[in-house]
Amino acid sequence: MTLPSFASIRDKVKAQEPLSFDDGVALFHHKNLLDVASLANEVRERMHGDRTYFNRNFHINATNVCVAGCRFCSFARLEEGSPQAQTLTHEEAFAKLQRRVDANEAVTEIHIVNGLHPGLPFDYYTKLLSGLKAIKPSIHLKAFTAVEIHYYHQRYGMSIEEVLRQLHAAGLDSLPGGGAEIFAPRVRKKICDDKCNAEEWLAVHRAAHAMGMRSNCTMLYGHIETLEERVDHMLQLRALQDETGGFQTFIPLAFHPDNNALMKLPGPTGAEDLRTYAVARLLLHNIPHLKAYWVMLGVKTSQTALWFGANDLDGTVQEEKIYHMAGAETPQTLTPDEIVRLIVNAGRTPVERDTLYNVIAEGEALVPNKPFRRNVRSLEVVQ
Amino acid sequence: MKKIRLAAVSFLNSRPITYALERGQGRMGEKFDLRYELPSRCADLLAQGEADLALLPSASYAAISDDLRIVPGIAVAGKGPVRTVLLVGQVPWERMDVIGTDSASRTSATLVQLLTRDRGLSPRFETTTHAHIMDTVVGTRGALMIGDPAFIAAERFPYVYDLGQEWTKWVGLPFVYAVWAGRPGAIDAEGVKLLQESLRLGLQHRAEIARGWAENSHLTPEACESYLQHNIRYQLGAEELSGATAFFDRAFKAGLLPRKAALRFFDDGRPERPITTVRTAPPLPVPRTGTDHPQKSLDALLTDAAAGQRLGFEDALRLYDKASTIDLGMAADLRRQALHGDGTVTYIIDRNVNYTNVCVTRCKFCNFYRPPGRADGYTHSKEVLAKRLQETVDLGGVQILLQGGLNPDLPLAYYEDLFRWMKANFPLAIHGLSPEEIRYIAELENMSLRGVIERLVAAGLDSIPGGGAEILDDEIRERISPLKCSTETWLEVMRQGHALGLRTTGTMVFGFGETPQHIFNHLEHLRALQDETAGFTAFICWPFQAEGTRLKLKDDTTAMRYLRVFALSRLYLDNFPNLQVSWPTMGPDVGQVALRFGGNDFGSAMIEENVVSQAGAVFKLSGDDIERYVREAGFVPRRRNMRYELLAARQV
Repeated sequence: MTLPSFASIRDKVKAQEPLSFDDGVALFHHKNLLDVASLANEVRERMHGDRTYFNRNFHINATNVCVAGCRFCSFARLEEGSPQAQTLTHEEAFAKLQRRVDANEAVTEIHIVNGLHPGLPFDYYTKLLSGLKAIKPSIHLKAFTAVEIHYYHQRYGMSIEEVLRQLHAAGLDSLPGGGAEIFAPRVRKKICDDKCNAEEWLAVHRAAHAMGMRSNCTMLYGHIETLEERVDHMLQLRALQDETGGFQTFIPLAFHPDNNALMKLPGPTGAEDLRTYAVARLLLHNIPHLKAYWVMLGVKTSQTALWFGANDLDGTVQEEKIYHMAGAETPQTLTPDEIVRLIVNAGRTPVERDTLYNVIAEGEALVPNKPFRRNVRSLEVVQ
Repeated sequence: MKKIRLAAVSFLNSRPITYALERGQGRMGEKFDLRYELPSRCADLLAQGEADLALLPSASYAAISDDLRIVPGIAVAGKGPVRTVLLVGQVPWERMDVIGTDSASRTSATLVQLLTRDRGLSPRFETTTHAHIMDTVVGTRGALMIGDPAFIAAERFPYVYDLGQEWTKWVGLPFVYAVWAGRPGAIDAEGVKLLQESLRLGLQHRAEIARGWAENSHLTPEACESYLQHNIRYQLGAEELSGATAFFDRAFKAGLLPRKAALRFFDDGRPERPITTVRTAPPLPVPRTGTDHPQKSLDALLTDAAAGQRLGFEDALRLYDKASTIDLGMAADLRRQALHGDGTVTYIIDRNVNYTNVCVTRCKFCNFYRPPGRADGYTHSKEVLAKRLQETVDLGGVQILLQGGLNPDLPLAYYEDLFRWMKANFPLAIHGLSPEEIRYIAELENMSLRGVIERLVAAGLDSIPGGGAEILDDEIRERISPLKCSTETWLEVMRQGHALGLRTTGTMVFGFGETPQHIFNHLEHLRALQDETAGFTAFICWPFQAEGTRLKLKDDTTAMRYLRVFALSRLYLDNFPNLQVSWPTMGPDVGQVALRFGGNDFGSAMIEENVVSQAGAVFKLSGDDIERYVREAGFVPRRRNMRYELLAARQV
């Protein structure tokens, strides 16, 4: 089979026509990375100009106990009682938010993802959400990947819709995009056999979208998947988006090789990361935002990605655990000033957003006022 | 209309240039009359006004007149073995008493004299006619063989020296054998374009040309085609122009040419630009060697710079301020492709040995030094060094990057002894002593810079690293490293090193709060010196790594600024053959991206590095890691030595 020419793909992009499966594969194979980047940048600028988003958020991993044995995860098959295991009490979780409220920190979002804990009652989660909302009603709770929702459906004997309805009633605002990994059954069987399959993952997001909730979507790349499987994955997301329009942001996640069962794989290099971003921007014409998750990608590559299709740098991300357990050497947090500087130094325009991309601050309000190099190590070290 | 009379060299290597002219295709037949002659005859016809334009041997270009013009973009050139300019003999070069030079070619004769002198030899040179020269090679009498007879001579004699290869070994640049040249006004822009078009067609038909030539010679079509493909390059780009300038300079200094020729060009619809600037001492502030075009659009500036046109200072500033990052990258990438089109990315296996950390300079940005008298100061013993050097050899290393502090206890004799000992015991090149160290030794010994370098070269120094350049601006230098050498001294060390035949690198460290003007001033200094000496092999830049040093800065040292500065460096330094990415400071992932922003070298798999790592850069890569990063960025990795000559491909 011969792949479509780059010129034919460029024509389609200029005419704003959707790209095909073969187009996606051809873009991965096209020799000159900058050709692909330039096209992706054109689309990015057509959609967002120079605007580059970030938010102020922090993470809560309420429990890392997990029944699933995913081979890329440092928490695989972690049981309650083992030395690494940690399940927060509600008070401990609430204290994380209370501390920030007391310090007048302007966080707008909490990102909550957890292991699949077999022993917790369902109201552990509803009480977690309602308790956080009680402390700060305006906080946006982006919580539970589709994999968790699907596990609750099985574990507690409720329909997907009922799980979502009860969590939504307790304070859930949107779903994060995790757990998608790679949809191809061949890959899932090898790396995350215990997780819900592609149809189930997509069904959870379809149900959330139908209830009026927004969500994100991800792809874990750079392990054993083929380029065709990456394209297939993105096109499945694109198809659901055509149906519901509920995805806000696509986040490609670079596989991290340390402390897990796939340690022997080298992990993707920067050139591959950036190409994946650029191809994603071109294939996913109907998903508005593309996020360079700096915790995983490294600060330098993330900044570079702002010219390779990405228009979002995620957030301040305090207390990230999952990738740091897997060997990420990125800093645990960036201050808003640092993020603003990174964006400005990339020649882009910073915009602080909330989870739903409402503008919190832009222009004059975001002029950085502290030295950028406050903590050099945190900025100069990538994984 | 009167036709333009062309005289071209009758050898095989000019046929791709004359391919379409010879066939008189289209406008070419109406515009030109073509005849073939021996090289020296082409020069005579032009000198006597019997030809308007000649495919002129480069020595004749310099000798005939100081007012000739060159057709841009076209040359008979070569980098490495050329196969048709040979010195042959029954005895080795050193034992030749007489070398017969071919009366048909002044350029080759000049080249062989230059190379012979460089080897410290002084045989007699005698001119012999082209037809009979091979018969004169007997006993201790060698001869210069050019053109097709060289193919036969290569088989016949026990000692054969390819002068193209010898030149490239010496200078690291291509040699330009011939160019289209004539008096001002001899050809218009349309004619220039037709000549370029003829070459373009000729290059497409090399196989056909080879077949035709083989019919009337003793050579096979395959041999002819291989020669046209691999031994001759036909573009006249920055690297070739640097090579030509180097040849003119050296031949003039050796008294073999009557003048130091400047390269001037016929109008091809673009503004004319002088490539060579002749200066005895570089005045400060910086000479500006490019031409600015304030009216040109950014796109046009980038397109022209990507095509090898010299970028002016103000234009570079405009690009720095306004051009899109991706556009800068793409222009720099086109320039890289023009210079290194085969997609090869080189790297070197070497070891950074910091022989002493004792230093009197106290630079604020340095975490490595210890002032004299401190207990934790060291100077490595030979035992320690021997272990490290042997490890380097065992790991496939070919070079030692030897740098240290300015240690008042180490006289010149220490270095001479060290180098001789290293050379006697280890097969490693010595890339050592930055300009600052050399200046300091000169100060300690009360000697001239040149005197010190001469002694170091005699002891085994192979090349000088470009460290310590930081930003070549005395105001900035005063602020960050007040005791270090001035801009002028740094440049002078490099100038003297180049004059003594050493190759060096040029560097720049930015992020000290300098302005873009400082950055381009710095690049301008390097470009102007390179015009003069052609001695730089490569340029490397990186943002300052501040952590833990006493210098507190708020400057932008992010990946994005690095990529922009790097791409603009590729475009501005049109006469630098190689640009090295700096993965030790920027990380290999950004290094990969930089390969698409003008880089063609991934630097070194460094076995040991102390200075930057003490300021917070923590990246370490093996040769295998480097190869993986290079491959995944879409390039073919090859090991090289300091002169950027490729080493044998690795067995995979």
